Amino acid sequence: MITVDKLIFEYPGLRALDDVSFNIAAGSITALVGPNGAGKTTLLRCMAALDQPVSGSINIAGIDVLEQPRDCHRIIGYLSDFFGLYQRLTVRQCLHYVARAQGIFEADFAAAIDDVSRRLHIQDRLENSPAELSRGLRQRVAIAQAIIHKPPVVLLDEPASGLDPEARHELAELFLDLQAQGMTLLVSSHILAELEAYCTDMLVLRQGRIVEQVAVKAPSLFKPFKLLLANPVENLLPLLQSLPGIKVINSDNKQQALLQIDADAAQQHRVLKALISLDLPVCEFAPATNNLQDAYLQTIRQIV
Amino acid sequence: MNLNPEFERQLILECSQARLVGAPVVLGAVFTLTYFLDDYRLGNITAQAALTLFMLITLLWGTRQSLDSIVEEYRDRTWDTQRLSALGPWQMTWGKLLGSTSMAWYCAGICLLVHALATDNPAALPLLFFYAIGTALLVQSTGLLLGLLAVQRGQLKTGSILILVLVGFIVFMPSLSDLTDTANYLSGNFQSNSWYSLTVNSQTLHQISLFFALFWCVMGSYRLVAQDLGLRNLPWAWLGFTLFLIVYLGGFIPSSSYSFSLAAFAVCSVLTYVGVIVERHEPMRIKRLLDYYRQANWRRVGEELPLSALSFALSLPFAIFLSFQEQRFAWLDISLHAYPLAIALLVLRDCAIYLFFCYGKNPQRAFSLSLLSAALLYGILPGLFAAIGMTGVSALFFPLWADTAFSALACAALQCALILSLLLQRWRQNI
Repeated sequence: MITVDKLIFEYPGLRALDDVSFNIAAGSITALVGPNGAGKTTLLRCMAALDQPVSGSINIAGIDVLEQPRDCHRIIGYLSDFFGLYQRLTVRQCLHYVARAQGIFEADFAAAIDDVSRRLHIQDRLENSPAELSRGLRQRVAIAQAIIHKPPVVLLDEPASGLDPEARHELAELFLDLQAQGMTLLVSSHILAELEAYCTDMLVLRQGRIVEQVAVKAPSLFKPFKLLLANPVENLLPLLQSLPGIKVINSDNKQQALLQIDADAAQQHRVLKALISLDLPVCEFAPATNNLQDAYLQTIRQIV
Repeated sequence: MNLNPEFERQLILECSQARLVGAPVVLGAVFTLTYFLDDYRLGNITAQAALTLFMLITLLWGTRQSLDSIVEEYRDRTWDTQRLSALGPWQMTWGKLLGSTSMAWYCAGICLLVHALATDNPAALPLLFFYAIGTALLVQSTGLLLGLLAVQRGQLKTGSILILVLVGFIVFMPSLSDLTDTANYLSGNFQSNSWYSLTVNSQTLHQISLFFALFWCVMGSYRLVAQDLGLRNLPWAWLGFTLFLIVYLGGFIPSSSYSFSLAAFAVCSVLTYVGVIVERHEPMRIKRLLDYYRQANWRRVGEELPLSALSFALSLPFAIFLSFQEQRFAWLDISLHAYPLAIALLVLRDCAIYLFFCYGKNPQRAFSLSLLSAALLYGILPGLFAAIGMTGVSALFFPLWADTAFSALACAALQCALILSLLLQRWRQNI
């Protein structure tokens, strides 16, 4: 869905994006993470055809963004980190304007506004001015503006900043809902915990370079399981390898191992039963939590 | 009705019910007063007051509104939303220009209506309305154009720009009293002008000039909006504007190939300065331009080419042509000569000085520092050396003091080489 190839962007005296290349699959929610100043906002602005890179190419849904920026604008939704809203209009008028400016047919305005305001839980704020809303509600209005035309690709720069935990949870649900509708989302943030709830992939940007692209929630028939024993067992690895239906991912000592087993619950029960029958002192057997924070820190540690 | 969304948004902002009712009430009170002053009839005082109010409303309020229509987008960080919309540059331009001034035009329309009812000279009304509306639209579109240029340079305070527009209006347009004097709009009151070999009624010439001024102003705004929306364009509009000015202004000077070339050279040189002042100067743009040049991607080279470079390139053939003509003359008997090629190099030097400051740490001071440099190079330093009899050294700073075209050219080339090498050095530090 999105292909970025050898993208270079420079500010005077600073290469903000250095030979950035990556692909994003359709229907994914990709977390764009990295420390402050890594180039996340610059990358998103280039992808939204708001800033012009020195060289490279960006292709979104078959459109060459740098050659046809206006065509790109029609198929993306973009939420800027420093967004603004028309303070002298009501929320309904803001949404109405954006709907019209995005070329939505007149007959569909009301339905589009109703739909997006319901999704963002701002139905009861439609007659308010954005100036009267809290930061979190204004953020929701801005997101509503970005997605009102149901773009196939949505780029969001720090969408959850300023939102309370409940609103963040609702936002995560919204993103999953948008994904279910077939949209592809690229979400930049440096609050990894918030991304974890909905991201399928992670793109790590550091000093203008992509240092890692990983699938954090790859749909798989197999699940990693962590096995922890109460006491060390000398021949743990051969014992585990002798069991059918499991694969030992790693076993770095005699007391714990990371196994890959069938996601089926009955199979998990059979493996646990087999482990117990081998007289192993099992004290923990649970899905391994490889969260976004772990993956990010692991990546950062590897490159430092 | 499928109204332009930007125009509709501006209408919602400007034309609230309270304002639509309040404005006629206030104007009604003013005209009631003038009605009393006119001895209980709609007379001359009312007509003059209506026309003066029209001018004030459209020029002050309307221009402020058109200026703010773009500056406020930047100030409120909503411009990116507009850039990402499906609106085209033309929709955006006229939506902002006419939408933001809609309330001003509503009030101005009432004033024109009152003037039409009160005037004792109804025959002059069509022409008066044409000039009044045309002039107001021209000043408002100039406001929008300058607003677009200002925001590209990060200038978000509109007060100084508004003053600039109005000072420009006062300098270039007839005085307010002339505009409001309806006798000036009666047929037969106009003189004739020569334009090339044509004898044109000055009334017709004014109308055509006003029309073209408005056209180029709106075209300028359109191109700037298109640029901001990310549309890539070759500089056809600038080229067209340059050619138009050459042809238009060339018609007012005695017809000969020398005078026409002189007009063309002057227009291109002035537009080189205008181009360099109004354009954004990002060191990365030059880098992109050079990259495209290396890739022989000529379309992109054309798109990235600074407008000032285009005007300068256009001025060179005229400078060369003028250099080989006999009609050289000394100015004001102060040994100052017109050496066209040397003048062209001085234009290049001045632009390079401006760019040198633009690429510095305080680009916002580039203009004032360039003016200071110009004062030193054109006036103070050559004057100083001329005063002590060292005219040769004066020519080094201001080559038009030189006695021969060759030495003038050599001095100008020396200065250019020096400034361009400094500029290149600074540009390299920036990329």
